[in-house]
Amino acid sequence: MRKGTSISRRSFIKLAATAGAAAAIPGCEPAARQLIPYVVPDENVVPGVPSFFATTCSECPAGCGAVARIREGRVVKLEGNPADPIGQGSLCARGQAALQGLYNPDRLARPQVRGDDGAMRSISWEEAQKMLGDRLLAASKAGKDRVAFLGSPQGPTFRKIALEVLGAYSSSRAIFYEAISQEAARAAAKTIFGRRDIPSYRIDQAEVLISFGADFLETWQSPVELARQYSLFRTPQKRRGTLAIGRAIYVGPRLSMTASKCDDWIATAPGAEAEIAWSVLNVMVKQRWVSQNSGFDLAALAKAVANFDPAATSARTGVPVETITRLGEAFGRAQSGLAIAGTDDSSAHLAAMIINAVTGNFGKTVMFLEGSPAEETSTPDEVNAVIEAMRGGKIDALFINGGNPVFAMPASARVAEAIGKVPFVVWAGGVPDETAAMAKLLLPAHHPLESWRDTAPRAGIRGLGQPVMQPVFDSKPVGDILLGAAAGSPSAKLPWASAAEAVKTEWLALAPKAVGADPEDFWVSVRREGGLFEEQHLSATSLDLSAFKAPVPAAAQPELSVYAYPHIFLYDGRGADKPWLQELPEPVTQIVWDSWAEIHPETARKLGVAKDDIIEIKTEHGAIEAPVLVESTVRPGVIAVPLGQGHRAYGRYAKDVGANAWAMLAAGATSAAATARATGGTRRLVTPLGKSDMMGRSIVEAMSIEQLARGVVPESGAEEVSGPYEMYPPWKYPKHKWGMTIDVNACIGCSACVTACYAENNVPTVGKDGVDRGRIMSWIRIERYFPPPKEVAQAPQLYLAPMLCQQCDHAPCEPVCPVFASYHSEEGLNGQVYNRCVGTRYCENNCPYKVRRFNWFEPEWPTPLNLQLNPDVTVRGVGVMEKCTFCVQRIQFAELNARTEDRELRDGEIVTACQQACPTRAITFGDSNDPGSAMMRRREDNKLRNYRALEELNTQPAITYLRDLYREKGGA
Amino acid sequence: MAAAPKIPVEPSYRDIDRSVLRVMEPAGLAYWAWIGFCFTLVAIAAALWVRQIYSGLGVTGLRQPVMWAIYITNFVFWVGIAHSGTLISAILFLFRTKWRTAVYRAAETMTIFAVATAGLYPLIHLGRVWFFYWLLPYPNQRYLQPDFRSPLVWDAFAVSTYLTTSALFWTMGLIPDLANAREAAAGWRKKFYTVLAMGWQGTDRQWRHYSMAYLLMAGLATPLVLSVHSVVSWDFAMAINPGWHSTIFAPYFVAGAIFSGVAMVITLLIPMRKLLGIEDLLTEWHFDNLAKVVLLTSLVVSYAYLTEAFMTWYAGDPMEQMTFHMRYFGPWGWMYWVMVLCNCVIPLLLFSPRIRVNMRALWIITIFVNIGMWFERFVIIAGSLTANLEPSQWAGYRPSITEIMITIGSFAWFLGLFSLFSRFLPIISMTELKEGIVWLRKAIKMDRVKAA
Repeated sequence: MRKGTSISRRSFIKLAATAGAAAAIPGCEPAARQLIPYVVPDENVVPGVPSFFATTCSECPAGCGAVARIREGRVVKLEGNPADPIGQGSLCARGQAALQGLYNPDRLARPQVRGDDGAMRSISWEEAQKMLGDRLLAASKAGKDRVAFLGSPQGPTFRKIALEVLGAYSSSRAIFYEAISQEAARAAAKTIFGRRDIPSYRIDQAEVLISFGADFLETWQSPVELARQYSLFRTPQKRRGTLAIGRAIYVGPRLSMTASKCDDWIATAPGAEAEIAWSVLNVMVKQRWVSQNSGFDLAALAKAVANFDPAATSARTGVPVETITRLGEAFGRAQSGLAIAGTDDSSAHLAAMIINAVTGNFGKTVMFLEGSPAEETSTPDEVNAVIEAMRGGKIDALFINGGNPVFAMPASARVAEAIGKVPFVVWAGGVPDETAAMAKLLLPAHHPLESWRDTAPRAGIRGLGQPVMQPVFDSKPVGDILLGAAAGSPSAKLPWASAAEAVKTEWLALAPKAVGADPEDFWVSVRREGGLFEEQHLSATSLDLSAFKAPVPAAAQPELSVYAYPHIFLYDGRGADKPWLQELPEPVTQIVWDSWAEIHPETARKLGVAKDDIIEIKTEHGAIEAPVLVESTVRPGVIAVPLGQGHRAYGRYAKDVGANAWAMLAAGATSAAATARATGGTRRLVTPLGKSDMMGRSIVEAMSIEQLARGVVPESGAEEVSGPYEMYPPWKYPKHKWGMTIDVNACIGCSACVTACYAENNVPTVGKDGVDRGRIMSWIRIERYFPPPKEVAQAPQLYLAPMLCQQCDHAPCEPVCPVFASYHSEEGLNGQVYNRCVGTRYCENNCPYKVRRFNWFEPEWPTPLNLQLNPDVTVRGVGVMEKCTFCVQRIQFAELNARTEDRELRDGEIVTACQQACPTRAITFGDSNDPGSAMMRRREDNKLRNYRALEELNTQPAITYLRDLYREKGGA
Repeated sequence: MAAAPKIPVEPSYRDIDRSVLRVMEPAGLAYWAWIGFCFTLVAIAAALWVRQIYSGLGVTGLRQPVMWAIYITNFVFWVGIAHSGTLISAILFLFRTKWRTAVYRAAETMTIFAVATAGLYPLIHLGRVWFFYWLLPYPNQRYLQPDFRSPLVWDAFAVSTYLTTSALFWTMGLIPDLANAREAAAGWRKKFYTVLAMGWQGTDRQWRHYSMAYLLMAGLATPLVLSVHSVVSWDFAMAINPGWHSTIFAPYFVAGAIFSGVAMVITLLIPMRKLLGIEDLLTEWHFDNLAKVVLLTSLVVSYAYLTEAFMTWYAGDPMEQMTFHMRYFGPWGWMYWVMVLCNCVIPLLLFSPRIRVNMRALWIITIFVNIGMWFERFVIIAGSLTANLEPSQWAGYRPSITEIMITIGSFAWFLGLFSLFSRFLPIISMTELKEGIVWLRKAIKMDRVKAA
């Protein structure tokens, strides 16, 4: 042994043995964990197998049917109800997000009473019911009509319950109102048809559609149904020997998502839409482009609209004469047309109805249907009467459920002041909102998904809602609360003891009375179907122009006006407590988690403001502050502000976000004259969007209908690709190769697919700061690009298309992952193995479509939002990459079922979440190996419109897009 | 430290030993304060890294689509710097270059610690660093292998090979010098150097084995100089992004690596030479030659920039052209032009023989070179990602405090280790100086003549 360190044999063996022994001690067994939470499961619960309950969506008055998917006793996903004629199986973003209202962590957990010092105290349900009953009784003893109910419409049965309960307290003051009201339409219908009803529409039966300020794809009446009709309207079909699509024109102050899907946007100041409509009527009547037997006295009509010749209208509105005459010509000469109005003044609605009627379209594209009537809502006079009664101290007890009047009523109504005068205010609901802050007694109410209820959105349609799971909190159905209180009143003779009983009784009364028919069968069938959907018959309607007065041109437009419109996702404010809805970028402006003031560049220059500067917008009714967004998507002289943001209560996701535009408005008006000034502050508007210019890249493509008719494929700037370039032997797909066809023409940008994906795949939200820092997690996104100025004539107004993982055959993300976390499956999917991902992020760097998402932090779902998580999909942890999987859990589920049942998979058996939610059926998923599949046939049938995103990169995507269709400018 | 006694014009072996070993005497407070400062910065960086592991990469400024930015820039920067050390010590050894002898030990040390610094970054930037070993092909019962198609796996092999080879080469080269130090030392130092010298007695047999082994290691290390950085550059060249996807990357990056590495050697040696009092051994002649290498590689790098620009224009791919347009004239365009100034324009000063031996000017120029080279990596890596194929996903990037402190900490780690080495291990190869004593005498004579 030489000098230096040396180790003897003995020491070496000692060391080795110790080390070896230490390594051999096994790790402790993990503590036994419960996998199945039940010892004796409920009869509907088979762990791992979902059950489905039909119910209805309550997130807007459209009343689409919904189906709840229940796993282990909790609802994890809502889908549209295929049996329902309104939604027909689709469910929009608002409907998908209803689950976040059900599981909202800020829902009231137990009854609370506000002390005189303002402090809240929790009490038991017994105490609460007693307090309620006592105070209502005391109020009724003081006189008639001293008890009032103020709330949102919740179906015919609930209306009956409320009226019965109020009757027990000698009152008839039941107000059911919608913040986004249809009053203008109803008033117009009463004027010329003698009925206060909303007609039904068939956009797909029209050749020309003019929308006067109606955002029918977003928030107007029944957006899901109308979107479906619109997609049919815009589907190319042979018309008079040539391929054609419907022509749509939008007249309004803002390029909304709806306007961007039309051929033309005619920018008018708010309120000027009616002027344009009358002028169109003037043109048509003068040129005799009207039906001869429509029942109108054409001479009288011409006289009535004599003030609206195109020159005069053009002078008053700034819309060119040529535009108006061409509009009149297009509508008048078309075989069928439809004019709709969405403004706050009934003049435009009146004009639209007359335009439809005088061209013989009544009964074709717009009609009244007979059948069980739609639910009644209170008139503005009725609402005002109750508010004034409150202000006058004539109401002793007020019960509020839904509607959030303190937030969602216009400033001129001064509702908060009126409510403040009521000595006893009870609020029943979910997440305490601004109105709850004024209540003495707060009662946790069941969410609509936990309740027995019904809807009557339209004639002949009655939807039935049933509880889809046990209540999440210690809440009660509102009907039960009311009936429970009234039961204590001595004069009460209530027909039912609970809301559930009421609904069942009312529905059994609808059962067919045939001999031998068992009403119980009927009850089972309506619960399974989700309602009673009658065949729709035209209702006999006759024109009655006795009340019609000649329209008068509106006063001159103010120099600056503010225009408020319901935010597509937040609607009237009810969506603000749902993080999915806050994090969805508004389709046109792409802004999240904020309100904004959209201003034209000219106006911005005049005001001396730039993007993100906070301005104060002031009307005679109030003022708000909002950051500026400078875009040409709004008319000069108009400031467009979305409604629905600006809560000061309503939970952690809604509180102190943005500004409440209702605070500036007058009752019944969605616009007002305004002044604006910079406040000197700034607030960055947050968006996940980068650049809005596609720079000629082949990401969203379009072609004109004229090109399609000629059979010409448009030139694209991209390199010609003659076929896949293979360096290696191509993949073999022995059984299935999954793919998608996405029709960009059908996509309206509504983001139902995005929300459905969030719900189905446990995608976390990251909040405003997270989105600002580029961490949004959406697996599918709506790409929005503006056509560059020099291409505006050969492009749609906006490029909108869904972008998701293209599941490429030559996926650039696969060879670069060092650990095979990104790999190619035998069925053509690019799989992502979450457990294997070490987070090098090379895959996202190499993805040309940038569809992969990285978990920058550990995602969190505050209880009980975690109850919504889909057990079929892994919840990813920090440091892991994720992306769209073509809903591989649904593929697996279907394949396992097929194998269990020993049969082949059927086409259409696998439906991805995005496909299922889409109102216009833009997405079709299927098997590329099966040329007869719906997806492949859709591709084949639209061969000229096929393209693949960034095809020249040779990624061989599995998704084929169908080009958007636009109309060449200056064409017929 | 006391002022260094001037080495005689005709130094003997003993004079050389004494000059070098003098540096390894116990150091003063200033030195330890510097080491303490460096390792305090390292501790801060380490703490921030631990926080990053705990919370997630969200604490950085990384985002969609800029998923690689400062960390990977630092990785490539340090790996690049490492290469010149091996160039000097291995390749120039094979070419029997005379001026290499006094500088190669410091250069090789720089290599080791640069690779050690670089090797941290693939760990730092991982989302789940506790599974880093999945990039290595170890046998496991799931039969899982890393994906050998992935440039990151190639990186793992290349960098670990480089680290191993350089470490062996370096350790081997140190042995005779450590034996020297062992003889001159006392107390715990003697024990320390005894262990490290591994029983070297300087016998004839040992010298013969040593020479052969050294030659073979030099041969083994030589191809690594070209291959390792080529492999690292293929992290980008193998990707689809415009601005990354280019066949020029391997020679481009290797030339840049030598460029920044030799500049870093100069940056380190100039103060070291002053502080440790070894001006006599590290003469102007050495720096003149190093500066010539810097100038040469600067010209190669300038040529590479021009080639890249030309090919982008000539190929006519609009997406690639847009990315380059953003690189030159976009929001980060200033970085590109700083890079051009530092890499292409300023080194032209080295055409002047006077500047090449002016220590102050040389030091400033080489610092600019490294600033320019850092920006080059950043502009390529993060800049290309900000202007990628999907315009709706274009976004800027700003480093967070975590990334900045970890970057600073890595510089402190490198400098701290290098400073420790320079006092505890022989910073100049006494063995090689003695081997090339003829040339050394010539160099010293030239220096004295100039000074006189």
